[in-house]
Amino acid sequence: MNNILIAFVTGLTSGGLSCLAVQGGLLASSLENQIEKDFQNAGQRKGRNKKNIKPSRSKLALPILVFLIAKLLAYSILGFLLGLVGQAFQLSPIARAFLQIGIGIFMLGSALRMLNVHPIFRIFVFEPPTFLRRFIRKTSKEADNSTLVTPAFLGFMTVLIPCGVAQAMMAVALGTGDPIQGAALMFAFTLGTSPVFFAVSYFATQLGQKLEKYFMRFVAIVVLVLALVTINSGLTLAGSPYTFSRLANSVFPKPQNVAAVATDQVAQSTEPFTDETITGSSDSEGRLLTINVQNSGYYPNEVHAKAGIPVTLKLITDNVQSCSRAFIIPSLGVQQILDETGQAMIQIPAQISGTQIYFSCSMGMYGGTIIFDL
Amino acid sequence: MIKQITLKINGMECPNCAMILEGIEDKLKGVKSAEASYRKTQLIVEYEESLLSKDQIKAEVKRMGYEVADGI
Repeated sequence: MNNILIAFVTGLTSGGLSCLAVQGGLLASSLENQIEKDFQNAGQRKGRNKKNIKPSRSKLALPILVFLIAKLLAYSILGFLLGLVGQAFQLSPIARAFLQIGIGIFMLGSALRMLNVHPIFRIFVFEPPTFLRRFIRKTSKEADNSTLVTPAFLGFMTVLIPCGVAQAMMAVALGTGDPIQGAALMFAFTLGTSPVFFAVSYFATQLGQKLEKYFMRFVAIVVLVLALVTINSGLTLAGSPYTFSRLANSVFPKPQNVAAVATDQVAQSTEPFTDETITGSSDSEGRLLTINVQNSGYYPNEVHAKAGIPVTLKLITDNVQSCSRAFIIPSLGVQQILDETGQAMIQIPAQISGTQIYFSCSMGMYGGTIIFDL
Repeated sequence: MIKQITLKINGMECPNCAMILEGIEDKLKGVKSAEASYRKTQLIVEYEESLLSKDQIKAEVKRMGYEVADGI
């Protein structure tokens, strides 16, 4: 759910204008017919003054909308297909982690390319083959005059010339490994780009070159941040101890989010919703670790367990909708979809003292650690 | 006679600038084919020498908003 919101906001903030820079030509072609027609009409009525086309601006709304709807449809289908491809390679958490890290690196490269750091980063882009580019150019030129068919067709064609940000999003859609999620992601992203697309083309606003440069830098920074988030998700998914949150935790430990369980002692915690955790974890001869699964992650996200004996992980969900429901422990090969509301028990074999086991949601967005040091 | 020229282009900000540049095919009579690459920052144009000169091609590229670094 979160991912989809991020996709929408990315589209809204950075996708719109940068994709317009790339695909604006196609939109312009699709509007050409309408404008030409209006020119002719205006010409018949009064002279050839260009200003005559102004009142007809409202007529542009429909072709722009058709163009955008076609685009939305095309990208949703693309997202579906990408998700399907991701699913076809049905991946273990570790493989998905590597894919995620790869996607993050691609996004990082794209961001550095947009920032013009070095020409070498131009390898991080997909260039449509020449014949495809020629085909798009020719069709947009030779498009017939049957009004709305042209913008619909050209809107659909934008899928062949995705902008840098869209390409980054496509990579994320691939990483979801789920056609519905992939489609939803691309739909949200494209929907996010639409208002800017519409406004800029409707009002025929032109960004100044300087502004455009600043804007591209902003876009690059958004992509850069997304890249780091994606890489971090990949690392979390891989159960790596070197994720940003774990590194931050080790530098600035947060005692309130750590529960010492699996012994007779009652853990100290200031998290109100971990009350149940604490009461639930003080029994079972120190073999029960209880974690509350929330929409925003796992609480506590660090639990201490007794070494040398098998322990049970009890996961409590209460109306959980987010990806935290898809619980995984990469090192143990545990993958479990938790009920929206309910409890799940996961057996963890005995571990030697000092072992740390990382768990996370299947997308690597939320994670935590079990430390066997008691 | 068909000739080929490779131009180094500055100012291609995105991969689809290549598509815009390739539009030179439609703009200049005598251009047989144009192939641009954002990655290589270059434009390869095949043209009919009797109809077109190198300088005309370079001028058109400039008119399209790109900078020709130098001929290769």
